[in-house]
Amino acid sequence: MSNRKTEITVSLVSTLAVLAYYLVNIFQMIQGGGLNSAEVFRLWAVVIIATIILNIAGNIITNIVINIVHAIKTQKGEEVRMLEDERDRLIGLKGDRVSYLAFSIGVFLSMLTFALGQPPLVMFSLIVLSSLIAEIFGDVSQFLFYNRGA
Amino acid sequence: MEKFKIRNNIRRLRFDRGEMTQEALAEKAGVTRQTIIAIESSKYSPSLELAFRIAQAFGVPLAEVFSYTPEHDQGNSS
Repeated sequence: MSNRKTEITVSLVSTLAVLAYYLVNIFQMIQGGGLNSAEVFRLWAVVIIATIILNIAGNIITNIVINIVHAIKTQKGEEVRMLEDERDRLIGLKGDRVSYLAFSIGVFLSMLTFALGQPPLVMFSLIVLSSLIAEIFGDVSQFLFYNRGA
Repeated sequence: MEKFKIRNNIRRLRFDRGEMTQEALAEKAGVTRQTIIAIESSKYSPSLELAFRIAQAFGVPLAEVFSYTPEHDQGNSS
């Protein structure tokens, strides 16, 4: 597996973990008698901060591990070339486009629930959910584009 | 309209240069080894600039590395 694919996998796993945490908490709130605004706002903050921190920490740890594995394999102290070339940029842009499309559909559906009479808290909870799902779609599509060539 | 495909002779050119590694070519062209693999297997068509850099790395004209031939024509692929 290439270094970029490893980075995407780490990002995917961390986003899936945050999504699972978010869904478990939302379902617990629903089972406990509905969404409470104070708890929901706290959950959004935790989800956004966790996504950022996990992605940054994941990237740093991945790069360290890749360098260690490279050093062991080559028996040299030289660093891995963490180069981003035109193909990486193209795949990144394509992934962003998929992510943007998924998020747009999510926002549309969230607003639809509001238009159909659901409270605004449900709409914003669905927007946060769609942002996480969009991130996952973006990562998966990037992974597939790497396998396909571009 | 007839369909055309970009083909390349990178595999042959590497062989002609004493089995130059993909890593060495990638370093000369300023891209990752994965990109060279994708180009060599015709999964990715490089930009014009990268195509020139690859030709420069081999020291040959662009047309010797890449060709634009009809899809059914198998003659000039690596």
